[in-house]
Amino acid sequence: MIRWFFRGVAGRRLTTRYPRVSEPAPPGFRARALLDPTATNPREAWRVAQVCLPGALSLDLQDRLVLDAGRCIGCGLCADANGDRAVTMDPGYELATTHRARLVVGADAHEADTAAAALNGPFRRSLHIRHIDTGSDGAVEQEIAALLNPYYDMHRLGLFFTASPRHADVLLVTGPVTRPMEEPLRRTYDAMPEPRVVVAAGTDACSGSIWTAPEVLGGVDRVLSVDVYIPGDPPSPIALLHGLLLAAGRVRQVSAPRVNGAPTAAVARGAGAE
Amino acid sequence: MITLRDRTVQATALAAEIQRLGGRLMMLFAAGDDGARELCAVVRADDTLVRLRARLDGAAYPAVTPRVPAAHWFEREIHDLFGIVPEGHPRLEPLVRHAAGQGEVTVPEEDDVRLRHRGAERLAGPGVFVIPYGPVRSGVFEAAQFLVQTGGEDIAYCAQRLFFKRRGAERRICEVPLELAVLVAERVSGTSSVAHALAFSHAVESLAETEAPPRAQAIRRILAELERLYNHLEVTVRECEDASLAVAQAQFAVLKERLHRLAGATVGNRYLRGAVVPGGTRIDLDAGSVDRIAATLRDWERDWRGALGILLRTDSFLDRLVSAGPLSEHDAQDFGCVGPVARGSGIDLDTRRDLPYDGYSAFEVAGHSDGDAMARMEVRFQEVSSSLEVIREAVASLSPGAIRGELKSFTRDGALGASESARGETLYWLEADGAQKLRFCKLRAASFMNFGAFNRVFDSQVLTDFSFVEHSLGLSPAGCDA
Repeated sequence: MIRWFFRGVAGRRLTTRYPRVSEPAPPGFRARALLDPTATNPREAWRVAQVCLPGALSLDLQDRLVLDAGRCIGCGLCADANGDRAVTMDPGYELATTHRARLVVGADAHEADTAAAALNGPFRRSLHIRHIDTGSDGAVEQEIAALLNPYYDMHRLGLFFTASPRHADVLLVTGPVTRPMEEPLRRTYDAMPEPRVVVAAGTDACSGSIWTAPEVLGGVDRVLSVDVYIPGDPPSPIALLHGLLLAAGRVRQVSAPRVNGAPTAAVARGAGAE
Repeated sequence: MITLRDRTVQATALAAEIQRLGGRLMMLFAAGDDGARELCAVVRADDTLVRLRARLDGAAYPAVTPRVPAAHWFEREIHDLFGIVPEGHPRLEPLVRHAAGQGEVTVPEEDDVRLRHRGAERLAGPGVFVIPYGPVRSGVFEAAQFLVQTGGEDIAYCAQRLFFKRRGAERRICEVPLELAVLVAERVSGTSSVAHALAFSHAVESLAETEAPPRAQAIRRILAELERLYNHLEVTVRECEDASLAVAQAQFAVLKERLHRLAGATVGNRYLRGAVVPGGTRIDLDAGSVDRIAATLRDWERDWRGALGILLRTDSFLDRLVSAGPLSEHDAQDFGCVGPVARGSGIDLDTRRDLPYDGYSAFEVAGHSDGDAMARMEVRFQEVSSSLEVIREAVASLSPGAIRGELKSFTRDGALGASESARGETLYWLEADGAQKLRFCKLRAASFMNFGAFNRVFDSQVLTDFSFVEHSLGLSPAGCDA
């Protein structure tokens, strides 16, 4: 045991200072597609939309591309397919938002007036989180578990997992909701005390993503009202931290993903409790 | 490319024929449409693969399970999905379409295969109760349910209930355009994305009778072994967590995170998605990436050996794993276990050697004969070393050239694709219609086999060892449920 002690104290500090200091993704990271609505070319648009498996890219009435980042799995096939660079891949981590509509970008889509606002929710500091899997692919669970590793160490921010929904403030849901999991999801939510916040973690949970079978109901918001959406396939640990801090009302959401005017992180009050 | 010997048998003779071949049952499923339904069994006997096809004339046939226990979940699945009755199956209750989540939980009265095998009596009487554990479990876990029958400490019986997460991946793969189907395969078991993409791609390449170019094969080996590394690390982290070794848990979690960061920087996805496609790979590794992989893994290996050296001298870790969750070679064989679970019980099998693909050569298969949780961990520790060796060799063998070959139109109408995920043999059986359209897909993840043997490792175990035993199996409910 003493050997572990010495090994533990020997290493240098690894822990990120996020959210006080932003944490960039490596170049080339495919967090999600980014659409420049002004650059879409109707001739290209149809071809680009064809290669989108989850249907995140679609055409509006004028044959212009519309991107629903809540469906995007970050495969990058659209960016490979389009010649005029209307769609590129965004490496950003801070994707969480409080309104599903804010994930949709198109020439006519309106940015919801919640831009750059914090969730005006019931919580300010520490959160207790209950996780439930309603049909995920298993990777997002590992990303959530990674929040406990020394790189992210979510305990420094006052975020904790709790075994019982009866002690939880946040219900963190992963996966599209399959029929057998609908009832357990409702019962877990009902067991939570108020106030409570529902966070949909991952593209599956945000929209149902690529799954269309009758045994899949779709995104979590088909069953419960969702307060924070964290897209990503799977969302990286920083994306999850951003979403959880958003649920706690401790960071602002990043403005909608536009090519012009790069989105920046904005930290609201009381962010770093390191 | 995998070659199958086709044989047609009577449905009444299927069980006897599989038994006569004497090999390992890899898959059993129903194919064809309502008019002409047939049963399909893939058996590995000696060094050949045999596909047995049996035409079904009615809605029933004599069950295979009494002679070949490995068929027990396959036959329940066939019964659930097609209503075909395997007559004489020892426990024909719903597997895929169970009424879970409805509140009522019972352990079946009917004897299961294991009890029948041993002639054992079911435990009953006052004080015996069932703990329904899941599908929402304490901690961050995937949805699965374990019904643990106990008198307080000893586990009398444990039944596993899966398929809460069934998302219809097989049908989805056939629905979508062929060039997008690999994206579905990658998301069947999100932590084995490369292995699933490889098995699927091998099947498609086999349909078109083509192979990935040498450079793509080397890249595939690098990615597949990187995936194996972080999955084996995940199991190690979980076991340290169970043993309450906080520092060890943190150390191994750091090692795991470094691999995900390497994956994210190399491929653009922390779980290596979007890299493998039928015909080759979508991404190429430039000189910078190759150097980064080599340099990162050099440091990584040094730190891994340091931490592992201490772990193997930590009594509080070894005490909990040694002799926990024993799986005899006989049971592992009977129930068709694969991957580190089988290798930890003395079964010598590894898809990378047995059905070689993507240029794996001279492969030394890890093995252990103790059959307990520690043996399964030892197998993983050996495999970490061999994976690092494979990556080094593949990096050295990266020759300039194409990474993606043209996929010609299909010349075969059915093909099997295989790969070895961190959890074991992963199989895709695909059938195609003429040009480039898939008509039928049956996938079998490693966890489907290993979950089928799940309750066999709880003989004379105690409740407090449950998580050690469970995590040593390294299972993926998402892969099992598909």
